[in-house]
Amino acid sequence: MAAVIALLCCAGGGRLARAAEAAPSPAAEPGWLGDDLPLPLAVKTPQDIGFKSAAERQYLIFNLMAGGKLAFDRGDYTGAAGKWETLLRMPGLDPQVAQAVQPLLEDARARAGRPAASADQQAGAPEKAPAPREQVSPTPRRTTVSGTVAGGGPAGPGGAVIWLKRLDEHGPRPTPAQNQIITQREKTFLPHVLAIPVGTSVQFRNDDRIYHNVFSIAKPNDFDAGIRATGATYVKTFSHPGVVQLLCNIHATMNAYVVAVDSPYYAKAQASGAFTIHNVPPGRYDLAAWHESASSVTHKTITVGPEGHRDLAVTVGGDKRPAPFVPDKYGHKRQPQLGY
Amino acid sequence: MTPVPLRSIAASFAILVLSASGARADGTDADESAAVSTAPPLVITGYVDIGFAKAQGDGTSFPSSYRALPPPGPPDYFVDPFAPAVNSRGEAASTALPPGAAAGGFLPRSAGIGGRPSFLVNTADVDLRYTAPELPILIFTRLQVIPRLYDPATSQGVLGGEYTRLFLEQAFGRITPIKSAELAISLGKFDSVFGIEYLDNQANFRVGVTPSLLARYTTGQSTGVKVFYRYQLIPIDSAISLNVAATNSGTFVEALQGPSASLTGRPVGAARLGYELNLARVSLKLGASAAYGPRNDQSVTTAATQRLLGIDVRLVVPTLTIAGEYVDIEEEGGDELGAAPVPKLAGTGPYPEVAEFYAHGFWVQAAEELPLPLDPALFRLTLYARYEQRHADFPGYAGADIEVDRITAGLNLGLGESLQLKAEYLVNREVEGAPQVANNVFTSSAVWTW
Repeated sequence: MAAVIALLCCAGGGRLARAAEAAPSPAAEPGWLGDDLPLPLAVKTPQDIGFKSAAERQYLIFNLMAGGKLAFDRGDYTGAAGKWETLLRMPGLDPQVAQAVQPLLEDARARAGRPAASADQQAGAPEKAPAPREQVSPTPRRTTVSGTVAGGGPAGPGGAVIWLKRLDEHGPRPTPAQNQIITQREKTFLPHVLAIPVGTSVQFRNDDRIYHNVFSIAKPNDFDAGIRATGATYVKTFSHPGVVQLLCNIHATMNAYVVAVDSPYYAKAQASGAFTIHNVPPGRYDLAAWHESASSVTHKTITVGPEGHRDLAVTVGGDKRPAPFVPDKYGHKRQPQLGY
Repeated sequence: MTPVPLRSIAASFAILVLSASGARADGTDADESAAVSTAPPLVITGYVDIGFAKAQGDGTSFPSSYRALPPPGPPDYFVDPFAPAVNSRGEAASTALPPGAAAGGFLPRSAGIGGRPSFLVNTADVDLRYTAPELPILIFTRLQVIPRLYDPATSQGVLGGEYTRLFLEQAFGRITPIKSAELAISLGKFDSVFGIEYLDNQANFRVGVTPSLLARYTTGQSTGVKVFYRYQLIPIDSAISLNVAATNSGTFVEALQGPSASLTGRPVGAARLGYELNLARVSLKLGASAAYGPRNDQSVTTAATQRLLGIDVRLVVPTLTIAGEYVDIEEEGGDELGAAPVPKLAGTGPYPEVAEFYAHGFWVQAAEELPLPLDPALFRLTLYARYEQRHADFPGYAGADIEVDRITAGLNLGLGESLQLKAEYLVNREVEGAPQVANNVFTSSAVWTW
């Protein structure tokens, strides 16, 4: 913290003051806020490596912290929340920094119209970070719900998505997850199934040596990323809950699923069918399970006690036949055997 | 040292945090076994196409005047016998010849319903698609049953149609040898590579009920090898593609050049060079096709050649599709100068002559999916219209130089993923050369894909 304060006071503080005096337009980015790493510090000895690493860490902390504040001040509450959320996920963050940022982060989220983060989505929060505001008043105990999915037909239960919706009271709204990526490699989407809370932005990345497209005609989450070269990325925010089938307009054989759930309590089953959902408050829930081979979503009411709920047995169907058609981005049918 | 944007570093930190909780550093799934597709390697699908049709007159394009005064040659050279089509296979309502007349082998398959309003089981289809889990290989077969009433006691098609057939329409293996390229090599019996109408050959893919008047030349399946290659041109949102085939029989439908075997021992080459412009809301596809090789209906000679040229265009905006194609066909005669005609073998049987033949024509179709306030996955209504023109000439026969056109309009109602209900009306007109005949058709189709 001292280092950050020193940076704020010495390295940036003066410039900050000057910047404030100059009263730049709200949208202007001050010159004192750095945006590039690594720092141009010479590395000649092993000590230099450690020094440079520490300096860059403090530089990063400073810029996320101060950059978030500048964004907040100019009314960009989403941007501010994003920077501060990234900051709070840094391992070993000084608790004083977290304490300073957390109230403002809550405020930024509220102003941005985003719900406060639930505990399960703060798994990467610093060790000594203070509890979010919503947890200051009677904090419900968080437990684990785990079990095994069976079924899914010949493909097995792997990739099933399980989520919980509170029945006895309004559960918290989910906070968008960070750094969700789907890559395209060897004419395959990886992962094949991605479970996310609604509102999450997913980055699509072409890691193949050939060109790809990503699109979905699943309304209202439909989109078209256009044709993308190797290394190109595209970000899509899934603002509505639902199952979104992903396809490639170039390669009719490629497909994958994004399952956007309106709950902070969700998991994707492993190949064995095992799943675990952490940080679930006790209560009554509707457990829903989706699988790409099932024609319908399985529902089941469960009660999560103070010790959680373990050894849940969930069965998903395997009755859904492969689709006879592969649509192109206009919904027109393609014949997959043609390969184009 | 190249500076790295701060946001990249920030994202890296966040990914490190995620790594500790089980996700991989690149954001993909740590559990690879559950990360890949769970689609089964063998997929069996198919469709059943049930139709109801009513053609004017006796269901053929032959005028009643031919009964009293036959034309100076095979009657199928002087009319368009494919015009009164009733289904996606292009079968005519009838091909019953005028009494005493002999056909020249330019006939479509017959549904055998004549002018009677009739229900038809157009096609029962089973597709098997096997994708090897570890190898870049796909095996595909398409087997079709075509049940027809056949009356052996009468001449061809008077009461019945063709006999019931079990038809192996396609059977091929496809390998994609290079992962980093859009290259596919197919071996076996497969769809044509000429033009674009073969893409809609099957009833469950075709927006309308019937094929165009040019489909007989471009949509046949044949046995051989084909290679497809496509190269994307990202800076201009485009791609170019080349589809090349060497096959036994070229691209005519099997009624005209039926045998899967090569009758001449020399292959027919066919190719299409394509260009695609793929914008966010507009797709434009252009193509130029050509085919050349020996006629595969000459059972004695080998010298007569066939040559096809074509251009095609497709324009797709979200709800509107406009497509069109122009085709020019030239077939040399099989009989040597001054010698007797040599016999011909078509899919519908043996005929006495490999006649010299020329044709050209075009079709253009517009289909608009209506913007209804309903879930398109459950309910889609598409209106379509097509105009086409065909000019054909058998130079060896005076008067066998005809021009016909056709106007088709219809609707396609999609209910859910599997059911399509289609209805259309075909107005067939003899523009020049061919005798006027009432051969308009109302036809409809219910296609259930399973």
